[in-house]
Amino acid sequence: MNFMWLKFAVQNTLRNRRRSLVTVSIAALGTAGILLAGGFALYTYQSLAEAAARDGGHLVLGKPDQFTRDEETPLQHGLDDVTALRAQLLADPQVRSVLPKIEFSGLISNGDKSVVMMGLGVEPDAEFSVKGPFLTLKAGQVLGGDAKQPEVMLGDALARNLKASPGSSLTLLASTADGALNALDVQVKAVFSTGVPEMDKRLVYTDIATAQRLLGTQKVSSLGVFLSRMEQTLPSQARLAAANPKLTVQTWEDQAFFYKSVRDLYNRIFGALGLIIGVIVVFVVTNAMSMAIIERTREIGTLRALGTLPAQLLRTLALEGMVLGGVGALVGAALSLAVSVFLYAVPIDMPPPPGRSVGYPLHITIDPLMYLATLSAMVLLTMAASAWVARRTVNMPVVDALAHT
Amino acid sequence: MSTAKTQAVLAMHEVHKTYRLGAHVIPALQGVDLSVQRGELLALTGPSGSGKSTILNLAGLIDTPDSGDILLDGQPVNGLGEVQRTLLRRDAMGFVFQSFNLVPVMTVYENVEYPLFIAGVPPAERRDRVTAQLQAVGLQDHARHRPDALSGGQRQRVAIARALVKRPKLVIADEPTASLDSHTADQVLELMRERGHAEGAAFVIATHDSRLSSRCDRVLALCDGSLS
Repeated sequence: MNFMWLKFAVQNTLRNRRRSLVTVSIAALGTAGILLAGGFALYTYQSLAEAAARDGGHLVLGKPDQFTRDEETPLQHGLDDVTALRAQLLADPQVRSVLPKIEFSGLISNGDKSVVMMGLGVEPDAEFSVKGPFLTLKAGQVLGGDAKQPEVMLGDALARNLKASPGSSLTLLASTADGALNALDVQVKAVFSTGVPEMDKRLVYTDIATAQRLLGTQKVSSLGVFLSRMEQTLPSQARLAAANPKLTVQTWEDQAFFYKSVRDLYNRIFGALGLIIGVIVVFVVTNAMSMAIIERTREIGTLRALGTLPAQLLRTLALEGMVLGGVGALVGAALSLAVSVFLYAVPIDMPPPPGRSVGYPLHITIDPLMYLATLSAMVLLTMAASAWVARRTVNMPVVDALAHT
Repeated sequence: MSTAKTQAVLAMHEVHKTYRLGAHVIPALQGVDLSVQRGELLALTGPSGSGKSTILNLAGLIDTPDSGDILLDGQPVNGLGEVQRTLLRRDAMGFVFQSFNLVPVMTVYENVEYPLFIAGVPPAERRDRVTAQLQAVGLQDHARHRPDALSGGQRQRVAIARALVKRPKLVIADEPTASLDSHTADQVLELMRERGHAEGAAFVIATHDSRLSSRCDRVLALCDGSLS
């Protein structure tokens, strides 16, 4: 491209500086809005994805019926003797850890009052070292692998309901794998919060051995496979599924219904927001270019008389739109970048979302691809819009253009 | 066709042009015959509405006749498409307007350079030709100025330099001195005459100014769309 056309376009944008400043400002604010909203959505997706993978593992192995059919008795579709299977899975170089999980339900009682519970049997030492601090401990200490007596951790709302605290004795009641009713005395080791009040009213953590003793079985519900890197999820799924054809291997995304719902919702909300902002920016640039072109109709006629081809004029007017939109987009990107970095340096907490009891940090993901795509879209849209509004004037008869007042 | 006619830079034969104003048909030109020789300054005079600007528009290829032939350097231009006409204007014609029509965001240098730029003349050659042209019109010291920093006479000199820098065969000048005082008008006319002869360009000048027309090589008077 000959830079004289670009220079001419830049000179033209400086004719009416106030109008250009307003146009660039709106394009900048629009771009910053899109990038900040998009960055927030991306941060939310990444956080939820990491939480989902951390909660159950990047991959979850179980019998096919475990994922498709309801159980008639506890652990009906559970995995038997997982020792060999764990050893085989751990031999894979991408696998960092394999954690068994038992999901059960029943009642928990303090002798005076019984409450419905959702139980999770885990291997405490591995669970808490692999997952990190995924629960907020309110009192007591996390379960240990070497407990001499059955122990549990209670959600804080459940503990409050049962007037339980660390050291309290409670009784778990549940159906065994054979369909009989079983009870087991346990001691409260800790009280925690998941951040979701509805979960904290029901959730009970215990160790695998206690859960198996309560349910009268050696089975586990599923195995959670934790990988070294998130990006290894799909290749590892294919590899493990091929090595274990009788089992189903699901990814964290298959299990993360909340993640998928939020992503679908945010995609729609922020997609619509981006579209609206994009349309506003295009309209503003189009309006500015329309005014500029109308004011310069006579000059366009002069340039046509001097021998400028309509395509050449169209190109320089499109470049003019590109300068307005492009400079606005660059300023907007810089603004978005500054706000994103500021929020990392000075954390600001968002209020708790619906259904949760704790807020979360307001972070904006800086995604180079999103920046590139947004800037490119802004530049292309403003160029196209400018060319579209200019097409009639540059193609009008030269005599008419020269006579324009 | 005579030898003189074949050598004419511009020739018009039996050219008719009408304009429509609502239901009314207004005849602008009624069978005009005209030829302009290389290096000639031809003045077109006549009252407003006599058809001077129409002849200039047709000669400058920015309008088309209803009938009749127009030849540029012996080549008929009637059937040419818009792109070909634009390229002909770019390569063979210059324009000088009453209100100068300089591009306000360009410097004097850039205004004069523009026709060479769109014609694809290499930068080094452009620099030489623009510098020479600005020297010829006495504006070399104003090369970096914008048009709004110049007087009316200086702006018209820039417009003349812009018209002549590409060494056109024909320059169309519509009331080039109408916006100027008499002294400046004399200077501009002298400049057009001098530069036109130096560059070998023919000028077709529409004017109301009898002093200007009297100093042209030939004067044609128009009345009601016909040459007298």
